[in-house]
Amino acid sequence: MVIAFAFFGYLFMDSVMGGMEEMSFSNIKNYDTGNIQVAYPEYWEDREKLPLENLIYLNQDIVDSIKNMDGILGVSPELRFKANLNNGIDETVVLGLGISPEQYNEVFATQNYIIEGSMFSPGESKAVIGVKLAELMDLKINDYITLLVRTKEDTFNTIDVEITGLLNTPNPMINNGVVFVPLDIAQQALNVDNGFSLLALKTASGDEDKIGKVLMDSFKDKDLELQAYSWRESAESIIALSTAKKGGIGTILSVVLLIGMIGIINNVILSALERTGEIGMMKALGMREWEIVFVFMVEATGIGILGGLAGCLIGFAGVGLMAKYGFGFNVMGIDISEYGIPILDKIYGTWNYPAFSFLFILSVTVALLSSIVPAYWAAHKDPVKAIYHR
Amino acid sequence: MSLLELKGVKKIYQQGKIEVPALRGVDLIVEQGEFSTIFGPSGSGKTTLLNMIGCLDTPTEGEIRLNGNKVSDLSRKALAMTRRFNIGFVFQSYNLIPVLTAYENVEFAIRLIDHTSELKIKERVLQILEEVGLKGLENRRPNELSGGESQRVAIARALVKEPKLVLADEPTANLDSKNATDVVKIMVKMNKELGTTFIFSTHDPMVMEYTHRYINLKDGMISADERRG
Repeated sequence: MVIAFAFFGYLFMDSVMGGMEEMSFSNIKNYDTGNIQVAYPEYWEDREKLPLENLIYLNQDIVDSIKNMDGILGVSPELRFKANLNNGIDETVVLGLGISPEQYNEVFATQNYIIEGSMFSPGESKAVIGVKLAELMDLKINDYITLLVRTKEDTFNTIDVEITGLLNTPNPMINNGVVFVPLDIAQQALNVDNGFSLLALKTASGDEDKIGKVLMDSFKDKDLELQAYSWRESAESIIALSTAKKGGIGTILSVVLLIGMIGIINNVILSALERTGEIGMMKALGMREWEIVFVFMVEATGIGILGGLAGCLIGFAGVGLMAKYGFGFNVMGIDISEYGIPILDKIYGTWNYPAFSFLFILSVTVALLSSIVPAYWAAHKDPVKAIYHR
Repeated sequence: MSLLELKGVKKIYQQGKIEVPALRGVDLIVEQGEFSTIFGPSGSGKTTLLNMIGCLDTPTEGEIRLNGNKVSDLSRKALAMTRRFNIGFVFQSYNLIPVLTAYENVEFAIRLIDHTSELKIKERVLQILEEVGLKGLENRRPNELSGGESQRVAIARALVKEPKLVLADEPTANLDSKNATDVVKIMVKMNKELGTTFIFSTHDPMVMEYTHRYINLKDGMISADERRG
């Protein structure tokens, strides 16, 4: 039972972590980065600082490189800038995002999560913000806000916009600190002409690397210095978290293994102690030591098979429930986005079938291997002492 | 050639720094087909002697020959094979395997020596169980059997492989007089029909009534060795 519950714990944990990772990555692609981002390498290096240098200015070569590419489902220019949002009373730092709504829609699913109001049109002095930010700044639809920005020339400017929509996307990072404004309004305020920070591209999932490589070749052919970056490069911190998670899973697995091994060794030793008379009788019947070892190993393997099967069955049920109904940390009053995980809603478990097979094989192997020493100890008992043991 | 020869067999147990002699020099010859009893007070060395004869223990000094083979010269494997093919044990506490049925306990012993026909094994096991009066109880586990029935299973297990020598250590100690008599009669029958050699260790006068030879052990030495016609 110990083995079964230990394995269940592992499978459940693996499923939750898998779900968390899958949803995190999905939220990053669908609401933040797209599948590929195209930018100049100098901009990319400084992108965290949101510079207004090394912006992209569309020319025919760039348009041709991207437009003629198979597999690109949408292209959205983005101008990213630092801004201070002022509601007339308070001020907070936000990420300003100048977008072209129609193109943005082709790449991101954000617009589906406007829970109040609507998206703006190009040229309108309007903005869309997340509900969390609205709550924080005590803002509602039709309220006016001022974005204090620095232009390309490092002079101050303001963007005065009316809130036209409130967003509540599954990606809490978008809800908490982004202000969407029309691209042309942002370009004008920042004095960057038609420049923008990067192009976000949507591709079929899994095609990023292939298309990214073809794009790079195309840029190179046209002597463009642009580079294509996969969403993974934008999600380094989440991936680092995921890697740490794998380390954590490894630790859990080690503990599970240890519990399993101790359980089995304990079981074989207890069994040998309880059955001392039986072992003596086996020797009196003429069984050789390796045959007695074999008996105990077969029994331990049986325990491993039963424990593994039970663990997989309970795990199957647990993961099934988790995959179907999910689990919301908010029920427990925990906002996991505070820990850098871009998930707002429930986390749904993922099926990791190889983990089931792996654990089952592991269970049998560990049972078999960990039984050898205690089984040999049992078989090596003095037959006379064993027979007359009380 | 005698079935069993013991010459000057001594066994000394070490208890801490103290040496405790269990056998002080036993000379004994047992022929095939004998039905013998070793008797004597507790601590006289009966069980130790049986263990030596049964190749479960080794003497500190002296020589034991079984079928002419010097036991001390045999490897562990050869000792196990000797026990497997030539010796049957019946113990006071039965030592049945609790998870196996009466049938399976007996089958376990014969499977170690007979790998031929499934049907032959089944026939032989059922036959021996019937001979010891356990027909109909084949599928009972040890916890569903009385003391007498359990001891009969132990006897069936010892006899199923038709060994040359059966060693029975206090086989009737846990049985009432009726069951004890029944058990001994089974062994007498086997002795007569198959010529199996039996050596008992016992205090029980009833058992001694059935045996042909009495070996009295006292303080680790044979003090009397009598035969009855």
